[in-house]
Amino acid sequence: MDETIAEFIRRTILKIPMSEMMTVLEAWNFLSESQLQTLNLRQRKDSLAQSVVLLCEEKCASLSDAALLDIVCTQVHRHQKIWDVYQMSKGPGEDLDLFDIEQFKSSFKKILQRALRNVTVSFRDAEENAVWIRIAWGTQYTKPNQYKPTYVVYYSHTPYAFTSSSRLKSNIPLLGQALTVASKHHQIVKMDLRSRYLDSLKAIVFKQYNQNFEIHNPTAPLQERSVGLDINTDSRIIHENAVEKDKVQRITQETFGDYPQPRLEFAQYKFWKAAMLTTTPQTPTQSLQFHNRFLETKFKSDLNGGILADREEPLRCLIKFSSPHLLEALKSLAPAGIADAPLSPLLTCIPSRGMNYFKIRDK
Amino acid sequence: MRSALGGGLGLRLELHFSAMQKTMDPYDAPESTPRQHPSCSLKEYFLAATPLQRRLESVRKQATSFVPTPPRRRIPQRSQLQEDVDPQKVAFLLHKQWTLYSLTPLYKFSYTNLKEYSRLLSAFITAEKQKGLAVEVGEDCNIKVVFSTLLGMKGTQSDPEAVLVQILSKPQLPSEDREAKALWTGWFCCVFGDGLLETVSEDFTCLPLFLANGAESNTAIIGTWFQKTFDCYFSPLAINAFNLSWMAAMWTACKMDRYVAATEFLWSVPCSPQSLDISYAIHPEDAKALWDSVHRTPGEVTQEEVDLFMDCLSSHFYRHFRIHLSATRLVRVSTSVASAHTDGKIKIICHKYLIGVLAYLTELAIFQIE
Repeated sequence: MDETIAEFIRRTILKIPMSEMMTVLEAWNFLSESQLQTLNLRQRKDSLAQSVVLLCEEKCASLSDAALLDIVCTQVHRHQKIWDVYQMSKGPGEDLDLFDIEQFKSSFKKILQRALRNVTVSFRDAEENAVWIRIAWGTQYTKPNQYKPTYVVYYSHTPYAFTSSSRLKSNIPLLGQALTVASKHHQIVKMDLRSRYLDSLKAIVFKQYNQNFEIHNPTAPLQERSVGLDINTDSRIIHENAVEKDKVQRITQETFGDYPQPRLEFAQYKFWKAAMLTTTPQTPTQSLQFHNRFLETKFKSDLNGGILADREEPLRCLIKFSSPHLLEALKSLAPAGIADAPLSPLLTCIPSRGMNYFKIRDK
Repeated sequence: MRSALGGGLGLRLELHFSAMQKTMDPYDAPESTPRQHPSCSLKEYFLAATPLQRRLESVRKQATSFVPTPPRRRIPQRSQLQEDVDPQKVAFLLHKQWTLYSLTPLYKFSYTNLKEYSRLLSAFITAEKQKGLAVEVGEDCNIKVVFSTLLGMKGTQSDPEAVLVQILSKPQLPSEDREAKALWTGWFCCVFGDGLLETVSEDFTCLPLFLANGAESNTAIIGTWFQKTFDCYFSPLAINAFNLSWMAAMWTACKMDRYVAATEFLWSVPCSPQSLDISYAIHPEDAKALWDSVHRTPGEVTQEEVDLFMDCLSSHFYRHFRIHLSATRLVRVSTSVASAHTDGKIKIICHKYLIGVLAYLTELAIFQIE
């Protein structure tokens, strides 16, 4: 076994927390049951890594075996990456293509190899028709760098692919091309949607986030439940604004539903001056321009007797919302009295539009 | 709904405003000489009053506890004295994150003894470090303490000179010609501190503002030595949302040749179960234009203007997001002049307005001591 492969396996093992070691090694499905039993999980991690490397040497592990281990690791720690979403579309009359996953894989690999010559492409099939792809990039003259790969999760029969954000921007167009051609699509566009939570991104683009609505929606209507809550409080205390509170609750529930929200950590809104936009080169993201009537950004304030009445300039600003669980946090704003119900469509449209990066232009 | 927001804010600010005018009335006259600084009125405020008045004022002050300050301040100006400061030393103070403390006057501190203090503090730190370490004594203690003055880092001639204290790591071998690395840096200053200066006797040196950069454990050890040696007391200087708004307005008001950063506000939203942070970054030219449209008194910033500036930003935000920023907590402001965090951390970026920034911080420190 090549020295570099041994080192790659060793480093990958070191990244795995001890508590998950067996799960990952079993999922890898490379070492046999009896080999795994010889491993002493109580030793220090670097000694354990060495033992795994020795077992791999016995079985003559190849680079593709090692790459599979890396994919398994990434699948387990998918939250450690930030995922971008790409949406593909077909041209007119291209709807009825038959899709074959094996054909997809070989075509995808061929496109990258033809362009770069040095590239490691590995696949691992996952649940729900998903295929995980790992690409270690090289160039015509340099070997692939196994330590800075890009991961792609493609759901076959769908127009969506998720890629781990990477600093190697130069290979993105090539990756897009390989995905489009191999999946028999016509065009690919990067969506303005990003998160650590791959499963939430998937729920958003496949509109699955409200599927468990029935399960989570208790049979008791809202009115009864709020009465139930009051039992715990002093009966002499009267909620003067109970009606208003119920209304806010109802509107919030109508807006967000009664199911757990998909998990995102940020949303960003960039307010432009129209003039600035024309000087900016068109990027694919702008094909998804936001066209709602409420996006007029001129600065108007009727405070203090129209001191600003003559100021009609748009305010160029960048607004970022961040939270460990953004949509749940937004959902709680109106009931907490921090925002009005219903919340601004700019915020509530995030899951329905599949966007958390917005560029808003003055009309 | 928007008017409800504006109305609510207006009411609250009016209350504060009238409370302040009561206390500040005699000093509310327009400041005439360009030299005069807002802390002058603070000084008079503390000196002119009889003991009874002072106690009354302090009760009132507690009632409106967040108002340390007069309702108007001068927009930071370039200081003449600052010209004397060694540019290398100024550059060293910029772009670093400093943790702020207020410091009571130092008893029998002498500028002629700085060498002696360097020696004593070195010995003290070495002893403290050895206390906790049974093994490897000396390994960690290869340090040197240096006291020096930051000449010119002050607002008026009567302000005492600022003092810089550094812990440097000594090169392991004498032959090594690499420069000593600063492990910890702290400095003490007083910029337009007249109010405090005149209330203390000659035995005391007033350097109410202390800024530290480096390991907190070192700050603690040095703090202990100063407290023992000069009978003074350090306390962390937090910056509340009210003062952060003032900073945002004053720093936005500064004329800049070149902007290096957006005017950014960070609000923290106290919603459960998930926390939420809102960053609101405005193009600095647009922030300045907004300020200019709010601003009416040349050379000065008034409470009313600060409130209006913040209200305008909040209502602009509300129009897009229907979120009341007034119900959230302002935790950080950053501009091309400086940035400040509510937990008492500051970074000064613009050389030109260094003295102006320090003047306001000195004022806050003095208020905390008083």
